[in-house]
Amino acid sequence: MKWDALHRGEQGYWSPYLAGAAIGLTLILTYYVMGHGLGASGAFTQIAANALERVAPEHARENAYLGGYLGPGSRWQSWIVVEVLGVFLGGLIGALTAGRFRVQTECGVQVTPRSRWLLALLGGVATGFGSRLAMGCTSGQALSGGAVLAVGSWLFTLMFFIGGYALAWFVSREWK
Amino acid sequence: MNGPLVPSGFLTPEVGLVFALVTGLLFGFFLERAGFGSAKKLTAMFYFQDFAVLRVMFTAVVVSVVGLLLLGGLGQIDFKLLAVPATYLWPQALGGLLIGIGFIVGGY
Repeated sequence: MKWDALHRGEQGYWSPYLAGAAIGLTLILTYYVMGHGLGASGAFTQIAANALERVAPEHARENAYLGGYLGPGSRWQSWIVVEVLGVFLGGLIGALTAGRFRVQTECGVQVTPRSRWLLALLGGVATGFGSRLAMGCTSGQALSGGAVLAVGSWLFTLMFFIGGYALAWFVSREWK
Repeated sequence: MNGPLVPSGFLTPEVGLVFALVTGLLFGFFLERAGFGSAKKLTAMFYFQDFAVLRVMFTAVVVSVVGLLLLGGLGQIDFKLLAVPATYLWPQALGGLLIGIGFIVGGY
């Protein structure tokens, strides 16, 4: 478990239990104030819906999927976009204050930066499509849905681990 | 001052929008401190190298489940006003699977 020793202190990361508790308290506060949890992927759908509305307003509003993001009244709508902007800024502040801010392409030993970018795009497509199918990603479903004990969110979390571990088993030799 | 404050009408949605930035900042900052800014660290648990991400996730879920149940038990938060993700078993199962696969493909 040399990796565990590595991340405690040396890289300046917090203990996972401390960071987890801080995230848990942030989530409780969000539920207490807003009545809903934290999200991430929905912000991109919201931005896409608003962008399409600019170009083709009728088509966007009549679209069964995107139209749901454009009607008035949903308390989740612009909220999640502002929240994700906050996440970006919070992460930036965190990286800057910890001296971790660097322009770099992290990749495995046998992966070139070029193929890492291509794989990241492919993985992003799978993740993006999956998060829309499930109506949420690891933030909206696993974390926020998990916190209010939503059945579908726990199933989502289980399948997330199954998908990850199953594929990792096939590729771990190449990427070690 | 019973929660949730915006749905119960104690705070306006406009205040909620300002709160979105605050809670986003906190969430992003803590995620960075946990090491989630590194794709390598984010996927390391799948290769049995570093389980920090798993510990962070489950600590966060356990803390919030217990905290929300306590707040509800003390009458400080009305569960009926909480937005609980709806249950659609197949889409959520398939979506979770795809995201797990996406993490491995895109991760590193």
